[in-house]
Amino acid sequence: MILEILSLGLIVSACLALFLDEVIYSVAALAGTFLFTALLYVINGAVFSAIFQFAVGVGTLAILFLSGEMLSDKPLKKTSPQKMGALLGMGVVLSLPAIFLSVSGAAGTYSEASFGDALWNLRGTDVVLEALVILTVAVGIAIVLYEKRNGGK
Amino acid sequence: MDFVILSLVMLALGVYGLLTNRQLLKVFISVELIATAATINFVMLASSLGVGLGQAFLILAFSTDTAVSAVILALLVIVSKKYGTSDISKIIKSEEEKSETEAES
Repeated sequence: MILEILSLGLIVSACLALFLDEVIYSVAALAGTFLFTALLYVINGAVFSAIFQFAVGVGTLAILFLSGEMLSDKPLKKTSPQKMGALLGMGVVLSLPAIFLSVSGAAGTYSEASFGDALWNLRGTDVVLEALVILTVAVGIAIVLYEKRNGGK
Repeated sequence: MDFVILSLVMLALGVYGLLTNRQLLKVFISVELIATAATINFVMLASSLGVGLGQAFLILAFSTDTAVSAVILALLVIVSKKYGTSDISKIIKSEEEKSETEAES
């Protein structure tokens, strides 16, 4: 039952994020989407994914709040209660297929690797290369800032 | 309860928003919804099968998503500063007026 409620909340908040007129309220609804996604992960036992989702979501939302406040044009009219009700109804209707329908068919072959095995044995190269890319970016930013400071003197 | 259909609905919402919204920030939100749909599909399928591989793939997906978000936001800031608006229709109109002025001169 709780999974159905979370799915309903996920779809409704996604609808609100897309179709609300005010950008700040859209970003707030997107925060709800990320929160419901993380809760879905936790309930399904994917705690690591929930933590990553939460961390990435917080960063994205912080930047979106700032850019939304700075860059967006002011809407001519506010969202009416009728439109809000229509959006909520649309979200509920769109979440019904996910709640009541199911895709039949067995899963294919899959490995029995745990999260740690999968991360280090199967995706180890990716993880190391990503760390290398992030390190390169950090060094590049440091060099650019250093040159800028020296050039400014 | 089927997570494949849930992620499919999220994907459809994101694609619809990508095609219909005129505000650049809303387009960005649509891209985020599409990325969320993909990650939900990965993680839910993997966790329902009891496989840790889905969560490991998720790290790669999140890092790609973050890089894409950074590029989109940078482009958004550049476009907003250049045209003074983040509305796609106003930007197109401004470009058309500019090209007409150049053609006349």
